[in-house]
Amino acid sequence: MLRTALGKALKGAQLSPKHARVMSQQPKKPEQIEVFIDDIPVKVDPGTTVLQAAAMVGVEIPRFCYHERLAVAGNCRMCLVEVEKSPKPVAACAMPVMKGWRVKTDSEMTKKAREGIMEFLLINHPLDCPICDQGGECDLQDQSMAFGSDKSRFTDIEHSGKRAVEDKDIGPLIKTIMTRCIHCTRCIRFASEVAGVDDLGTTGRGNDMQVGTYVEKMFLSEMSGNIIDLCPVGALTSKPYSFTARPWEIRKIDSIDVLDAVGSNIVVSSRTGEVMRIMPRVNEEINEEWIADKSRFSYDGLKRQRLVTPMLRDNTGELRPVDWEAALLTVAKQIKNAGANVGAIAGGLADAEVLVAVKDLLNRLGSEALCTEHTFPMDGSGTDLRSSYLLNNGIAHAEEADFVLLVGTNPRFEAPLLNSRLRKGYVHNELEVALIGPKVDLRYQYKHLGDGTDVLQQLIGGGHEVSKKLKSAKKPLIIVGSEVLERPDGAAILAVIQKLSASTKAQEGWKVLNVLHKVASQVAALDIGYNPGVDKIRENNPKVLLLLGADEGAIEKADLCDNTFVVYLGHHGDHGATIADAILPGAAYTEKQATYVNTEGRAQQTLVAVTPPGRAREDWKVIRALSEIVGAKLPYDNLNEIRDRLDEVAPHLTKYGEAENANFFKQAQDLAKNVKTQLDCTPLDVKLKDLSDYFMTDSISRASPTMAKCVQAVLKQKQSKF
Amino acid sequence: MLPTLRTVANGLRRSLGLRSLQTTSTLQSDNLFVHRDTPEDNPDIPFQFTTENKKRADAILAIYPEGHKRAAMLPLLDLAQRQHGWLPISAMHHVADILGLPKMRVYEVATFYTMFMRKPTGKYHVQVCTTTPCWLRGSDEIWNTIRENLKLENGETSKDMMFTLSEVECLGACVNAPMVQINDDYYEDLTVEDTVEILCDLKEGRKPKPGPRNGRFAAEPIGEPTSLKGEPPAAGFGVRPDL
Amino acid sequence: MSYFGLDRIFKLMKTIKDYGGLRASLYKLYRIDNLRPGRLVATDKFGNKYYENNAYFYGRNRWVEYAPKYGLDYDASQVPAEWYGWLHYKTDYLPSEDPGRPKYKWMAEYTENLTGTKLQYMPYTTTNPKIQAWVPPSKK
Repeated sequence: MLRTALGKALKGAQLSPKHARVMSQQPKKPEQIEVFIDDIPVKVDPGTTVLQAAAMVGVEIPRFCYHERLAVAGNCRMCLVEVEKSPKPVAACAMPVMKGWRVKTDSEMTKKAREGIMEFLLINHPLDCPICDQGGECDLQDQSMAFGSDKSRFTDIEHSGKRAVEDKDIGPLIKTIMTRCIHCTRCIRFASEVAGVDDLGTTGRGNDMQVGTYVEKMFLSEMSGNIIDLCPVGALTSKPYSFTARPWEIRKIDSIDVLDAVGSNIVVSSRTGEVMRIMPRVNEEINEEWIADKSRFSYDGLKRQRLVTPMLRDNTGELRPVDWEAALLTVAKQIKNAGANVGAIAGGLADAEVLVAVKDLLNRLGSEALCTEHTFPMDGSGTDLRSSYLLNNGIAHAEEADFVLLVGTNPRFEAPLLNSRLRKGYVHNELEVALIGPKVDLRYQYKHLGDGTDVLQQLIGGGHEVSKKLKSAKKPLIIVGSEVLERPDGAAILAVIQKLSASTKAQEGWKVLNVLHKVASQVAALDIGYNPGVDKIRENNPKVLLLLGADEGAIEKADLCDNTFVVYLGHHGDHGATIADAILPGAAYTEKQATYVNTEGRAQQTLVAVTPPGRAREDWKVIRALSEIVGAKLPYDNLNEIRDRLDEVAPHLTKYGEAENANFFKQAQDLAKNVKTQLDCTPLDVKLKDLSDYFMTDSISRASPTMAKCVQAVLKQKQSKF
Repeated sequence: MLPTLRTVANGLRRSLGLRSLQTTSTLQSDNLFVHRDTPEDNPDIPFQFTTENKKRADAILAIYPEGHKRAAMLPLLDLAQRQHGWLPISAMHHVADILGLPKMRVYEVATFYTMFMRKPTGKYHVQVCTTTPCWLRGSDEIWNTIRENLKLENGETSKDMMFTLSEVECLGACVNAPMVQINDDYYEDLTVEDTVEILCDLKEGRKPKPGPRNGRFAAEPIGEPTSLKGEPPAAGFGVRPDL
Repeated sequence: MSYFGLDRIFKLMKTIKDYGGLRASLYKLYRIDNLRPGRLVATDKFGNKYYENNAYFYGRNRWVEYAPKYGLDYDASQVPAEWYGWLHYKTDYLPSEDPGRPKYKWMAEYTENLTGTKLQYMPYTTTNPKIQAWVPPSKK
């Protein structure tokens, strides 16, 4: 635990993009100063703290309150070290190094200081490790082993017991056992700095001090789960995970979150074939080390409402479980009868493998009716140029921007981690944000320009109050939500925004136009060549319609002919499965090795944490099996071969971890001039306006009881006076 | 009360040769550091500064430069407490609204400082100093006198909302020990009779004269000065002759 | 006679006769690999027959022939508890004659060991299934 924290500290000190930018902006580098950590010389920039300098030479200094992504508090005192010629030990996390300092992290004084601090901490900490959920991954446990004394002078001679603090109720996600709190204030700093929800604080003083909310209040943040990871002891633990598993029993698999289009890196912990919890994994370019609550807590949706066996609709109109053979033969027969009149709609959770398999299959059958559930304007350059539909500038660079214009998006709920970057820029970088769309709470101040499309026109004309700022900004960003591009006049909006982006004077290499998608599959689907939107299906009226986890109700039974045979391939029984005539159970993202491309065009892969339940199979394998029966056998038999095929279609789909840059902004803008659509005057709107809208947005989170509880709790909190 | 009970019970158990039960300690302070809605103190009770106090609040805010207005939190909370007699949660909310701060930041400050009274407090808040100098000069007698006179225990408020009694640590008037603070006034150099008189005056609506009770004006010696009586020596006093 | 061993032939013939003829004896031989003359002591309520022949030495002079209904699937647990003592020389009293044998209303009927049969006890899970399957909404 400590070792990872140390590694992060190192990275934070050296690799964080923000740090690098500060360096590059300064005209000349300030002179480095030399200090000695345990007699190892190290040259550091002025202002580096003792703790960071020590991390650079690989010396670990224990800490509780210090966290490299939060402000320095310096209140746990665990990082005390001896500095030569200093009469007292100094707190390494808060003390900047001075020239020629000799820091002794292993001296008698340092050891004594650490043992003393640990003794004090343990006097006020209950000895309930055996019933504590943090046991086994607790910083206090680890550090008392490593740095604590072997005995304590706390004898409880009066039998008065230890300090006890009342537990707080801060919502259905976070369990608090406040007696265990060691007052590091990490949660408070996270809430106020990163989440922007100043609901946590300390009340009382001295021995009576306690961390809490003072009033009964839910911690109303979409990133609240991160304080569980931040808490170095077991004071804040996960409510859904409580008492279910121990860290040493768990298998950890690195994976990717697919519940929004950010593609946060996660670790899926599983035990006995069951997903026990999901935690974030550090990726400086995407999610730093946070993840949103939906990504973290909706895993119990993976165990509910699952499709575990193939089903066919019988004569009475009821769906009956059948075996794979019967299901595949029936579907194949329908496809054969339909000939080329087959269509497919890809939902928000479909992976690139199944997308390419379905495309290959339908193309072999002679059909081109491949659609995505979420639409995107096709006028102008449409989806031919990647730059038109990506978050081109990248998520990490959002915090460097000096002016951000949000158009028809609520990044707080559509991409919480992008919003945390914007908030970081707002707090540390004097970023100015303006928003066109409904007035929503982003947890930082922004200029609300109204929700009409006329504002866009004014901006183009240069007559608007923020036009000047937009034009003069060196690092402007225009982030447009994919939701407003789904409007009938989406093409016109995109064209206007392309024109607006081109009119800015951004510095070299800075990409102004950014599209923020809401679902994980959309970019991969457009890369592979799916048609955005279901219009084609409506026009063609295919005899067989294949739904790849399409659950958002883009197409209803009423939109189709009576004799259309609907096949649903997916993992949850939701809207799509209800209207299907045949159900082929697929695997959820924790159950397959699959490729997803996030909104910035970065291909990443999930890994298999648990096996698909029941008779469910990996989606692309189902399509591959079906193709053989249909008589249009697809030429790939294993994952490597289908990845080769992905590579043929679009090489960036298999360059995992790298964001493939998109260019041709100029060309896209030229093509946009041909757009005939006019802006209509309906106001721009977003679906996710409030925290209660955030928790249930897809088939997994809709099936999750935890998410349902969250919605209830948020609605209840709204009734409260606090 | 509870600790005494516990000690007795544990002593009994020990004398019987039984293992003592582990019990949870009471909080060290008799104040509660979380909010509980009560009929007197809940967010539905409206709180507004009076017109007069509004002017004062504006004056306080004017002291602090733009961007540092939150520094006015302590004086504003104090103003609210003076207006209401104690500091209800709606007053904290009002101050938070004025300063444009999250409510939690105000709760933090209001709970940190012990002089913000977060529960209903009597018209006269009698604070008896019992720290060492006062104690040496007989603060125990003063404390017992007040307790018996008002029939209140530490932290209690009389039913007619006239008196609240608190035992406090050093109030910085050691040279005039023993002393009590009643609202903003110090009553110093007390004897038992003085104390009773002060309380009687308060009960009958008179305002007793604050300050020392033994004839002193302030912290000067009783009677005449005992040191530094002569003229101060001239420059060069005590300096080596060769310099 | 005994000199020529003819008595053994007579004995065999008597045994065969006792068993009910050649066919029945062959079946018995097939079923229990043995043909022994003996005195039928009693038959229990399950149909098992208990024999004694003190001409055999101790340890072989008492035996049981399992009830025909068991066919070839007989095993020692089909001997009820009360006959166990007699069969293993714990007592010489037969169950019906034993004065010390407790008899209460609440004593359960003897059952053989059912392990490996269809009637065996199978514990079932009391926990919720890890995965809850989707149940399609009914049209009605």
